[in-house]
Formats: sequence, structure tokens, C-alpha cells
Amino acid sequence: MAAIGAAAAVGITAIATAYAQAKIGAAGIGALAEDDSLFGSVLILTALPETIVIFGLVVALIATGFI
Amino acid sequence: MKPAKMCKISITGHKDQLQKTIDTLYRLKLFDIQTYDGELDTGNPFDEAEEFSQMLVDTRSLLSTLPEAEGTGSFQLSQLANDIETVKEKVDEFERKQAELADEKRDVKTQLDFLKKLKGAKISIEDLEGSDTLETFVGKFDKEELEEATDHDLYEVFEGKDLNLLAYRKDRGMQEVLREIGATETKPPQIDYTGDLEKVLTTLKNRRDGIKSDLDSLQEEYREYARKWRPKLEDAESFLTERVEKAEAPLSFATTDSTFIAEGWIPHDKFNELGEELHRATGGKIHIQEEQTDEEPPTKHENNVAVKPFESLTDLVSVPRHNEIDPSFLLMLTFPLMFGFMIGDAGYGLTTLAVFYGGYRLFPAASEIFKSLMYASIATVAFGLAFGDAFGYVIFGHHSQLASATGIHLFEQIPILFHRAEHLGDVFTLSVVIGLAHVNLGYLVGFYNEFMKHGLKEAFLEKISWILLEIGAFAWYVFGAQVGAPVLLISLVMLYVGEGVEGMVEIPSLLSNILSYFRIFGVSVAAVSLAAVVNAMADPLFGMGNAVGFALGTVVLVVGHVFNTFVKIMEGFLQGIRLHYVEMFTKFYEGGGRKYAPFGGTE
Repeated sequence: MAAIGAAAAVGITAIATAYAQAKIGAAGIGALAEDDSLFGSVLILTALPETIVIFGLVVALIATGFI
Repeated sequence: MKPAKMCKISITGHKDQLQKTIDTLYRLKLFDIQTYDGELDTGNPFDEAEEFSQMLVDTRSLLSTLPEAEGTGSFQLSQLANDIETVKEKVDEFERKQAELADEKRDVKTQLDFLKKLKGAKISIEDLEGSDTLETFVGKFDKEELEEATDHDLYEVFEGKDLNLLAYRKDRGMQEVLREIGATETKPPQIDYTGDLEKVLTTLKNRRDGIKSDLDSLQEEYREYARKWRPKLEDAESFLTERVEKAEAPLSFATTDSTFIAEGWIPHDKFNELGEELHRATGGKIHIQEEQTDEEPPTKHENNVAVKPFESLTDLVSVPRHNEIDPSFLLMLTFPLMFGFMIGDAGYGLTTLAVFYGGYRLFPAASEIFKSLMYASIATVAFGLAFGDAFGYVIFGHHSQLASATGIHLFEQIPILFHRAEHLGDVFTLSVVIGLAHVNLGYLVGFYNEFMKHGLKEAFLEKISWILLEIGAFAWYVFGAQVGAPVLLISLVMLYVGEGVEGMVEIPSLLSNILSYFRIFGVSVAAVSLAAVVNAMADPLFGMGNAVGFALGTVVLVVGHVFNTFVKIMEGFLQGIRLHYVEMFTKFYEGGGRKYAPFGGTE
């Protein structure tokens, strides 16, 4: 049960991150096409949703008793 | 650690001295011109500006068309206009001939492709056209099916390799039948020759080869021409760029009938040098003075050689303001360590070093970033040795695979910190420790920035309150509410006074920032596992014990580890830099400065 919970935690948050990054990434490439000096900001914005999956990882580790 | 101190100066002189002033400023590469915006007129460009700009545009356009070629050469200004004209004509001619040959090649290819499909059919090219009484159809269909579906024999089928030609009497419409048997039609292209199909095929093939060799020799001739002219044009381009920049500089100056005033920024410690040089050039007929202003100066990074490569990583987010700490040195301190810790493998340290060195040589525009990444690779090697890992194999420590493979027991004697694959729990704890240290380092730098800008009280309330908040939470956890709660309360009050409601709202983000450092753990696990996966795939192949197994195993190892190298570069760089940009910089970094761009230089 704990293993299924851990898998769900990582899996679902990974999908959520991917969905967010896909949208931000597409918009970011659009912005870069207009002005490539925005690279740093776009990189940050694209990287932001990764925190979601890190939370998923933490929950998974708690569920499996690693922490 | 802080950007260079800048000062605003104004240079005033008679227009006679304008040219000499501009030449000197260009040579010194110190003066960041501020475009004049006021009631006086701005200056006119030098007379040569228009002519030289036109030549520069032409030269650049030629350089973008001419094939690449190495070499050195110099041009003569008196000849330049004529030369540009000559080269332009010749380049146009080359390009036109090339386009014509390419068109012809495409045309011949279309004909050949079509006729090849008909190969084997005993026909002449004229047959494709039909005649007064005969209609033709070229396409894919089955001859037997056609025979069955037709109720007469007033037609003939010529079978080719992939296509057939059907000729039938006009008064006997076959369209219906062809549709019935599902024939697909291929319209013949315009064929340039007549006569027997096989002969025409040979003629076309000869012509195709002819065009190819024509095109090759034309291209060789073009490259030869480029080798002669490109270096000269490149020389002309750099000369013209300089002259045009100089000629257009007065557009940014204020002028009256007989004088000019140039305003701009220079590093404070260069004031005397600039003054002396200008006085020498103009025989003292010029007045320079430092302006008192509250305008924001441009930012000039001032770091030592070791930190310099990290300036581009800072500027990637935003150029620092002139009065805040330049975080490049923080990046130099912690980015390579984080990258190295995450990848932590001596083998990948060396391969990534090779990749970054390649990037450094191949992409001069991004050479500084690659240089900073080379630091990261060196840290990776160091951590790899500390963990006793190389390409996922244990090389040092008491169960060294290298020792058992080579029989040299010395490798077992080499001490290691700990073996990551077996102590992932330690990596996990270390991630949080790194996170706490990193985020608080950010607060401390923020404290310094606030202290310099607004004073001790603000700095204490805005930044130290956060650190106190962490201490409070920690005390609550360790000693219980009696100790923790008062500290927390004090920190919350300080935070509210310092940053207002915004500070309160930001509290959960502190937790998420610190948790975010778990990615160090995540990437470490991935780094260890990816290498192990490749080795696990290769091991059974080596176990086969024959040459084929050895060869296949080697291929798997090479391909796998090359692939891993790039995955690790991406993960190590993106995750490492993100922890700086998002988690750490937000604690202190303001950014939004304008980069110092001196006249005549690139910085």
C-alpha cells in the first residue's frame, strides 16, 4: 500500500510538473524568439514547477519509511 | 565582490578637437557614452559616416554570402568601393550560376526518377504523348486485371519496373475501367529528349553526372575566390565598423555652434588616466570634469580572474545593480561544488570536462560559461575520487572493483568519504544541510546589501528575522514549545515590521525553498543509478568471454556513458544553477542594472 502511495505521489506530481513545464516552455520559446536576452528569466520560469515533483519525492520517501 | 565604482564625467571642447577626442576615447575603451537628451542640439555625424555605413552594409552582406575561408589579408581604402563592386558582381554571378545548375539538376532528377520507374517498357519518349488517334495513361495498375475488366482489345500495355504505359484508341474510353481496377495515375513530366527510353535514360544520367561535376568545379572556383577575398573583406569590415562608430559618435553628444559636450561613465579609478590621455591628444584644449549626479551608473563587474567566468552566469539572470554585491563570487564558490556533489563521479568529471573544453573552443561567444562549467567538472572529479566512483564502478575503498579487476590491492587502501550508492540516507541529510547553508548564505548577503542601502535596522528586520525564524522552528523541534515559541514570535514580529504582510505570505516559500534542495539527493540517486544501469547492461556481454561479447560490451559502455555524460551535464547544470537563481538569489538579489559598454570595446 505504501509502495503504491509512493508511486502515485511521484507519478502524479511528475505529470503535473511536466504539464506546467510544457506550457511555460512553449511560452518561453515564444518569448525568446522575440528577445533572446530573456534566456535567464525563461530558464528560471521553466525550472520553477520542478519543486512540485520534489515534493512528490519527499512524500514518497515518507510513505516508504525512508525518512 | 561589488561592481566597480563609476563616475559620470563631461568632456567639453571646441569642435576642432572633436575628432581627436573621439579617436582617443575609442582607443582607450573606457568611456560609456550617455546619449544627450536636452535642449541643446545633438552633433552631426562626420561626413564619411554615410559613405562608410553603406560600404559596411555591403561588406557585411558579401561576408554573409561568401563561403567560409581561412587566411589573412589587408585591403586598401582607396580601392574598397571598386573592390566591393567587383566582388559583388562576381558573387552574384557565382550565385546565379549555382542556382541555375541546381535548377537543372532538380529538373533532370525529376525526369530520371520518372523514367526509371518505366524502365523495361519498350517505348519511345514520344509514345508518352499519345497521338491523334491514341490516348495514353501512365500509372500503376495490374495488366491482368485490366484485361479482365475490358471487353475489347483495342489497347496495348507496356510494362515498366514500377509504372505501366497504357495506349488505347481515343474512341474507346478506358477511364471508367481504369477507375474500376483502382489504377493510380502518374503525370509524366516534360522530358527534354525524344527517342528510345533506354537511350534517353543513359543520356539523362550522363547529363546528371555532367551537372554534378560542373557544380563541383563551380563550387571549388567559388571557394578559391572566397579564399582570395574573404580575408580582405574581413579586414575592411573591422576597419569600417570602427570608422562608422567613430563617425556616428557625435550623434550622442550635445553641441553648440562651436563646442561639443560629451557625457558618459567611466570607472572611477580611470578618471586621471583618461584625463591625461585626452589632454595629451588635444594639447590641453579640452575640459573634463566629474559630474555630481544621482543617476544610476552602468555596472562594471570587478572580479579576479578566478571569478570572471561566472559573471556571464550572473548576467544570464540579470546584471547586478551598481550598489549591490555581485553574486558571481558566490556562484564560483558554490555552483561547482553542487554540480560536483550531484554528479560525483571521477569518470564523468573527465568526460564532462572534455565536452566543456570542446564547447569552450568551438563557441567563442559562450566561452566564459564553458570555462565556469570546467570548474564544475573539476569539482566532479574531486567528489568522484572522494566517493571512490568512476563511471559507476567502485574504484577505491575496501570493496574496490578496480582492485579486484586488476589485482592491485593498493586501490583498496585509498580511503574514501563514503560510498554513495550504499549511503543514500546520508546524501539525503546532506541535501537539507546544503540547502540550509545555501539559503542562509543568501540571507546574510541580503543583510549586507540592505545594510549598505538602508542601514542596520532595516537589514536586521528584513533578513535576520528569517534566520531567527529558522532557529525558532529548530528550537521548537529540539527543546519544545517553551523555548521555540518565544523565538518564533519575536521573529514573526520582526518580519512583520520589516517586510509587512508580504513577509508573512512568503513564510511557506522558505520551507519550499529548503525542500527544493532535495533535488540534490534526487539527481545524486539518478546519477548513481544511470551509471549502474549502463554497467549492468554491459556486464553480461563481457561475461560471454569471447571477442564478440567484448566488442558489444565495449559498444554498450561507450554509447551508454556518452549518453549519460550529456544527461548529467544537463541535470547538473540546470538543477545546480536553478538552486542558485531561484532559491538563493531571491534572498538578496535585486538585479536590473545596465551593463557597462565602453565606446570602442565589448567590455
